[in-house]
Amino acid sequence: MSSKHVLDGYKVLDISQYLAGPAATNLMAQMGAEVIKVEIGPHGEPVRSFPYCRDGRSAYFIQQNRGKKSLCLDPKSPEGLDIIKSLVEQCDVFVENFAPGVIARLGLSWEVVKELNPDIIMCSISAFGQEGPLAAYPGFDYIAQAYAAVTDLMGEKDRAPSLPMLAFGDIGTGVHAVTAIGYALLERARNGGGGQFVDVSLLDTYFHHHEVSVQGYSASAGELVPQRNGPHHYAVGPTGIFKSRDGHLIILALLHQWPILCRAMGREKLSDDPRFVDNDVRMENHPEMVEIIESWLQAQDSDEAALAILEKARIPCAPILTVPEAMAHPHMLERNTVRTINDRILGEFQIPGMPLRFSKYEVDENVQAPLLGEHNEEILKEYLALTTGQIRTLEQNNILFSKAV
Amino acid sequence: MNQKHILDGFRVLDFTQFLAGPTTTRLMAEMGAEVIKIELMPAGDPVHQLPYRRANRSGYYIQQNRGKKSVCVDIRDPKGLELVKELVKSCDVVIENFSPGAIDRMGLGWDVVKALNPEIIMCSISAFGQSGPLSNLPGFDYIAMAVSGVMDMIGDPDQAPYFPMVGIGDVNAGVHALAAINAALLYRYKSGKGQYIDISLLDSYFHSHEINVQAYSGSGGKIVPQRTGHQHYAACPLGLFKCQDGYLFMVVMARQWGPLCKVMGREDLADNPDYATNGRRVKRRDEIVEIIEGWLSNYKRDDALRLLEDMHVPVAPVLSVPEAMEHPHLIERQVIRTIHERGYGELQIPGIPLRFSEFPEPLDLQAPYLGEHNKEVLGNFIGLSAEEVDALEADGVLKSEEIPEGIETIAAS
Repeated sequence: MSSKHVLDGYKVLDISQYLAGPAATNLMAQMGAEVIKVEIGPHGEPVRSFPYCRDGRSAYFIQQNRGKKSLCLDPKSPEGLDIIKSLVEQCDVFVENFAPGVIARLGLSWEVVKELNPDIIMCSISAFGQEGPLAAYPGFDYIAQAYAAVTDLMGEKDRAPSLPMLAFGDIGTGVHAVTAIGYALLERARNGGGGQFVDVSLLDTYFHHHEVSVQGYSASAGELVPQRNGPHHYAVGPTGIFKSRDGHLIILALLHQWPILCRAMGREKLSDDPRFVDNDVRMENHPEMVEIIESWLQAQDSDEAALAILEKARIPCAPILTVPEAMAHPHMLERNTVRTINDRILGEFQIPGMPLRFSKYEVDENVQAPLLGEHNEEILKEYLALTTGQIRTLEQNNILFSKAV
Repeated sequence: MNQKHILDGFRVLDFTQFLAGPTTTRLMAEMGAEVIKIELMPAGDPVHQLPYRRANRSGYYIQQNRGKKSVCVDIRDPKGLELVKELVKSCDVVIENFSPGAIDRMGLGWDVVKALNPEIIMCSISAFGQSGPLSNLPGFDYIAMAVSGVMDMIGDPDQAPYFPMVGIGDVNAGVHALAAINAALLYRYKSGKGQYIDISLLDSYFHSHEINVQAYSGSGGKIVPQRTGHQHYAACPLGLFKCQDGYLFMVVMARQWGPLCKVMGREDLADNPDYATNGRRVKRRDEIVEIIEGWLSNYKRDDALRLLEDMHVPVAPVLSVPEAMEHPHLIERQVIRTIHERGYGELQIPGIPLRFSEFPEPLDLQAPYLGEHNKEVLGNFIGLSAEEVDALEADGVLKSEEIPEGIETIAAS
């Protein structure tokens, strides 16, 4: 048997848009699944106009949708809905990320879907989940981030919190979704059939990341209060961003690493200093500790020199790279963490690499993001056995759409 | 077939410690897998020491290790290594997150593992990946975050960046690992073949750049990604806004601009062409933020929240962790859940982020004491008798911590 990748042969019906859902199906496409992206006519996926755009083509869209097949139709027309239902009958997975309730109003609730195909895995992705007091509110990444108490933990104590200028939440939720879908498929494979419904949300995903704060606040009965603490961690140290000779460096020296850091700084005696001997007293004497580390850093010839000393002592440390610096870093290039793709219209540009690396398979970097409705004909002939004439009629009746964008 | 959850019957040999790897195997335990946590002599997973500690137990350890079975073994002792190799033969998945190379030096590299069990899936998790110039450096969450260009995107432009007081990178890499292991297990169903998976925090962080990488590259460097404090650099209004007693996050797109102006009593702005597009609003960001915060200065956070929600403006209160833990939505959906832990008592931890219709009820899990399952695992998996395990414990090849009186041990399955 010759598979092109781990999910070769799986068929995914994907009516998701924006970021979280497309991130899930993006990973599935990169693992070899056939992903049919249903786009709502006449304009299709809203991110087709997101920056950066050139020649009417969006790099944002391309990054999330390479290797998918585009079917652009009007799902509110009876003919369009029938096409989707036929595809539901033939696919292994159905992914949507409308606001809760919308998919049911379209006539594609889980009850309907499982009736059509009892073996299908349906995954709904939303900001707050499918039920509960917040379910009906409009939600985006930062909204769920604020409700999950993640935003509150970034920034200076006495000032406004900061917003990260990237969408961990959407991408992370997409990864949670692909995981949940995959385990439901595994369950189906071992039992020889049987689908189920999977409910994934940004709020669940964000809240899942609290490793210290939730249990710490709960178990200490409120004694340990999670709070943003500027450039340093509130509970462990040294862990933070330190002013260095040329800018800032991040250093973590936990548990056994404190004496090693002291030695690396040429301050061996500090490791026995009762002010710093364990994490508790280091947090009590935090300003002095920071000052010792920062004055050492600033006395080095350069940040590179300081990093070399710390790296040699195996103290976890790093320069804080800008996005352009990270994209040019030899490690990123060697491992394809940043990769160059070549879009038919937009040409060459870079996107993040495939984060899941399998020993058996290379990622196919030659796949293209689809043009709007590019695969209407292919999909409808293959899955529904429609004729060219029937497809033309659907186009004329504004049920199907296509456009070279 | 009556399964208790999806991964019932799967066996996972888990060498991981700290956070990223234990996150992966915790989710597998929550899905019913039998997870054998190999803890290294003499103290086991270093997070046993992390806060919040009570009754000699760590809440941090409990949160990440519920439902796993602990075997504490000296892997540097040839006898200990042999035991672990025997376990490799009867597991479906082996997972480790030592520094790259360490697992080979222990005598359990992928070549050894696959020779012992060709159907096994082996997953390594590291900060920077198994190859490349940075692979040998010690790495933790925030280290990979700094190198990925993510940390640089948080904070005010003219000041040091910030990092979140949340283990985003570790948990996220753990979920990436879970996804990859799953796909490899699915593939094994078709092919019978195992394989090796290389997951890194750096890859996982970099994967989260939805705009920055393609926009910088696609624009030929014209769009330079940069941190812009608490307002977004490319959209307006999109950011954090100060109220009398806290902050609101708000994102206002084309169709919400009018309603926002209306609720602020500034209908004049709704029809003013100078504010009509996102591009024009971005140019007037300072002025717009001042108008919005001027209006919000009359309100407490939650009162303003209601007004904006009524206008269908996407808005959220910036909740503190304690506030989030008390929010009715998080409680109703068990995003926050209360567990009862042996020897520790009641404790709240985050809920299960993967919700399956076929398995709506969470399993009743406990975190193990160090080496609690030496006898059970070595008995079930490789047929050692209780006396043989006792002898190995006496020799210092295995260790089990004494379980305090009155604590019920987990029933052997």
